[in-house]
Amino acid sequence: MINDEDDHMTTLLVAKQYMKNFINKYEIYLKPLMKLVLALTALMMINGKIGYMHKLDNTSIVLILALMCSFMPTNFIIFVAAAFTVLHFYALSLECAAITLILFLVMFLLYFRFSPKDTVVVVLLPICFVLKIPYVIPLAMGLVGTPASVVSVGCGVAVSYLINYVADSATALSGMEAEDITTRLRFVIDGLLNNKEMVLTIAAFAITIMVVYLVRRLSIDHAWTIAMIAGAIVDVMVLLVGDLMFDTKVSMVGIFVGTIFSLLIVKILEFFVFHLDYSRVEKVQFEDDEYYYYVKAVPKITVATPARTVKRINTPRKRSGSGQSRR
Amino acid sequence: MINEEKVILMTRMASYEEHEGRKDISITHYFRGDYIGFQVLKSVIAATFSFFALFAVYIFYNFEELMQDIYNMDLLAFGKSVIIRYLCMVGIYGVVSYVVFASKYSRARKSLKHYHDNLRKLSGMYDK
Repeated sequence: MINDEDDHMTTLLVAKQYMKNFINKYEIYLKPLMKLVLALTALMMINGKIGYMHKLDNTSIVLILALMCSFMPTNFIIFVAAAFTVLHFYALSLECAAITLILFLVMFLLYFRFSPKDTVVVVLLPICFVLKIPYVIPLAMGLVGTPASVVSVGCGVAVSYLINYVADSATALSGMEAEDITTRLRFVIDGLLNNKEMVLTIAAFAITIMVVYLVRRLSIDHAWTIAMIAGAIVDVMVLLVGDLMFDTKVSMVGIFVGTIFSLLIVKILEFFVFHLDYSRVEKVQFEDDEYYYYVKAVPKITVATPARTVKRINTPRKRSGSGQSRR
Repeated sequence: MINEEKVILMTRMASYEEHEGRKDISITHYFRGDYIGFQVLKSVIAATFSFFALFAVYIFYNFEELMQDIYNMDLLAFGKSVIIRYLCMVGIYGVVSYVVFASKYSRARKSLKHYHDNLRKLSGMYDK
């Protein structure tokens, strides 16, 4: 007997295996490609949303920078995106650029010294906010990160809201008189600090990360799945309760739909990406007294091979016989 | 003859040397106190810069009030509160970075010790 569910599972496992082989084989090319795509997306979104400096809003510049990012370390993308944002804001108003610069400076100086690994979240989060699925990030970071990821995610949320706020109030900012530096400065800072929605989102995401992290480390079956569902529920609850308490007027439908989509995405990511071990093909050279060695070490594939089920079309006439003991 | 066991061991070690090993070795070049002290010093400098940046924003934000009150406000108390805040920030940040870098150092030390054990095993193979 064979049932549909098993069949689907087998197909998925085969797909996963294929994916794993593919990643192992082409890792050298895939990594720069991913960086290129990320950098391109980030820079184009920045240009689309806050392209106030027309010199930068130029496809060739974006392409050149994205290509540069593809073979630099990942953190270079953050650096380029931050520089882009500040320059665009500078074209809009000096005060805005100064505040953004200070925000980035404090972020780089204080936090990124410690955990240079999950800093890429700061670029990913604004992108996810534009795609309306920011809830992916805290769930994913809870699964693969540590509680310290709370800070990166918080920084990412703050940056997203800052960009949004400035983009929304660009006309008001450029309409103010040029001499009135303090007013403009106050306008930006007030807008950022009094944004209850931002504070609420940071709090919700922080709690989500902690919940996902704690649940996933429990020694229970399906800990990862339970962790992401629990995280998603907590996230929605905190956002809704916060909405009632602070009257932030967030879109309920947006939260629900976004969370469900995020859950799906994280589930797919979990299946295909997170469980892959990144033990890669290694090429090393060394020598001893007798030989030079050029060794290519290929990691053994440890995923269980899909269980095969044999479908019997004809029921065998003979019940006995040694050849019948197939599974 | 190629000794298979030796090749496996050497491959493992070479790959460690190429990836985590490089960082671990550069960390353990320092004495523990020197490494942590240096990192904490860097943290303190970073915190000082950030504090001044934030303080500048604060001053600009409250520029008008400060200019109005500058003659009748208690500058000494104001300075004191600023310094206390600065010390708090630097102190907390320093402690956090001490903990982080101390654990980083001990982790590097541990994996390097493993590496040295392997090295000894390898030289044992030559003696055979």
